[in-house]
Amino acid sequence: MAPLNVICRLGAALLLGALAGAPAGAADLVVIVSARNPVATLRADQVAAIFLGQSVRFPDGAEAVPYDMRLGAALRDEFYARVTNKSPALLKAHWSKMVFTGRGQPPAELSDSAAVRRRVAGDLDAIGYIERNALDPSVHAVLVVQ
Amino acid sequence: MRVSGFGTLGVVHASVREADYTSSVLKASGAGGTRRWSADVDTRLGMQLDTTFARRWSAVLQVVSEQDLDNSYRPRVEWANVKYQVTPELAVRAGRIALPVFLMADYRKVGYAYPWVRPPVEGYNVLAITNSDGVDATLRWSAGPVRNASQVFYGHSSVPLTPPLHVVGRGDIGVSNISEWGAFSVRVNAASAEISSNIGSELFGALGAFGPAGQALGARYALDHKRMTMLNVGLNYDPGTWFLMAEAGRTNGHSFLGATRSAYVSAGWRWHSFTPYATWASVRATSATSDPGLPVAAVPPALAPMAAALNAGLNALLATIPQQTSAAAGLRWDLGTNMALKLQYDRVTPHDGSRGTLINQTPRFRSGHTVHVASVALDFVY
Repeated sequence: MAPLNVICRLGAALLLGALAGAPAGAADLVVIVSARNPVATLRADQVAAIFLGQSVRFPDGAEAVPYDMRLGAALRDEFYARVTNKSPALLKAHWSKMVFTGRGQPPAELSDSAAVRRRVAGDLDAIGYIERNALDPSVHAVLVVQ
Repeated sequence: MRVSGFGTLGVVHASVREADYTSSVLKASGAGGTRRWSADVDTRLGMQLDTTFARRWSAVLQVVSEQDLDNSYRPRVEWANVKYQVTPELAVRAGRIALPVFLMADYRKVGYAYPWVRPPVEGYNVLAITNSDGVDATLRWSAGPVRNASQVFYGHSSVPLTPPLHVVGRGDIGVSNISEWGAFSVRVNAASAEISSNIGSELFGALGAFGPAGQALGARYALDHKRMTMLNVGLNYDPGTWFLMAEAGRTNGHSFLGATRSAYVSAGWRWHSFTPYATWASVRATSATSDPGLPVAAVPPALAPMAAALNAGLNALLATIPQQTSAAAGLRWDLGTNMALKLQYDRVTPHDGSRGTLINQTPRFRSGHTVHVASVALDFVY
C-alpha cells in the first residue's frame, strides 16, 4: 500500500511538472515533503507562510519544520523571490523583525539539494525546496515553482 | 545559544537653535541647540541572546545601549523573558517583554527592520516606554487565508528618568492582534496602565495650598494614579517591489500628558538595492494645552505673584503635549544582506504653541517655525 502511494504521489508530482511545460533546468525548483507525508499539494501562499514563520503546521494539522538552503545560494534567492516576493535583503529584514521580537528563528540551513532531500525524506515534519532534477522517490513534490 | 545583534550609527543635523531634535523624550540631547550635528539621536547597539533549554522552553535576553537622560550609554535590559511553547500555536512568556503598542513596537529600535532612519516621531515619541515586566500569551490562529497572532499582556513598568524623578506604570494591561493576508498586514493594539510620577509634584503641591481651585488643578493634571489609555491601528501593504504603511493612534493620559491623536502615511518603492520613500506624519492634542490656572485676581495681593508663577509652570508642562506635523523624504540603500545606509530629510513643524517632539527648548523657542532635519544612518544586524 505504502509503496503504491509513493508511486502515485511521485506520478502526480511529475505530471504536475509536465503539465507546467517548463523546460527542466537548474532554474526549476520543487517544494518537497517526505514520501510518507500525506500532504499532497500546497499553494504558494501556504508554503510562504511556513517558510516565513507565520504558520507552524501543514493544512492537515501536522507540524511543519522548514529547511533552507545556505545564505547566498542561487536556489534560495530564487525560491524566496518566486514564492514570497522577497529579495535577500527583504528576507533579512523580515527575520530581523521576527528574531528581535522573540517571535521566531529562521529555518535551519542545509548545504545543497541532496542534503535537503535526505533530511526531508527522513523527517515526516520536514519541508524543503530542491532543484527539480534532484527529486527521487524518498520525497514528493507538493509545489512546482515556475 | 544564539547570539545576534543590531545597531545603528547615525548622525543628524537640525536647523533649530532654540531646542534639540531627537528621537525620544528619554534622551539628554539631540541635534540643534546643544550641537548642530548630533550622533546621539539614532546611534545605538543591541545584543540578544536566545537559548533553548528543552523542546518547549526558551529564553531571551536583549540589552540595548543608547544615549539616555543622563547622557550616558549605559546598557539597559530591554527584554529578559522565559517562553514556554504550550502548543505550536500558543506561547506564554514571563519576564521583561516588549510593550505591543505600535505597528513596529517590538522592533522600533532595530533600524534595519524598517525603511526609514527612525519610526515617525509624531506617533512613536508619544509613548517612550518600550517594555513591561509581567506575563503575556500569544496565540496564532488562521481564519481562511488570514493568519493571525493575538497577544494579551499584564505587567508593570518603570521608566528611567533623571533621579529623583521617576515614572511608573502599574497594572499595564493590553491586547494586540496582527493579521497577515498575503502582502497585507494589519495590527491593532489597545493598552492601558495606571501611571504615577513625581514630575510636577512640587508644582501641584503648591497649587493645592491655594485651596479648592488649586486642588482641582492638581486632580486634573497631576500624574498621580492616572489610568492612561492607548489605541493604535497600523496597516502595511508590501508586495515586495513597493510598500505602503500607515498608522493611527490616540492616547489619553488624563493628566498634563494630555490626550493626543497621531497618524502617519509612508510609501516607497524598491529598485535594485535602493528604496526611496516619503512620509507624512502628524500629532495633535485633543485636550487642553493651556489653562487659566489659579484666578490670580481672587487671591490675596501678596500671593498673586506666586499664583502667577505657578500658572506659568502649569502652562509650561501643558506646552510639552506634542503638536507637530512633518514631511520626510529619504533613501535606503541595502549594502549586502545585513547592512543598510539611509539618508533622510525631514521638515518638522511644531505648532499651536507646542514644542512638538523637540526637547531642551530655551525661553526664546517659538512654536510654528519649521525645523529642517538631515540624517544619515548605517543600520546593521548580525
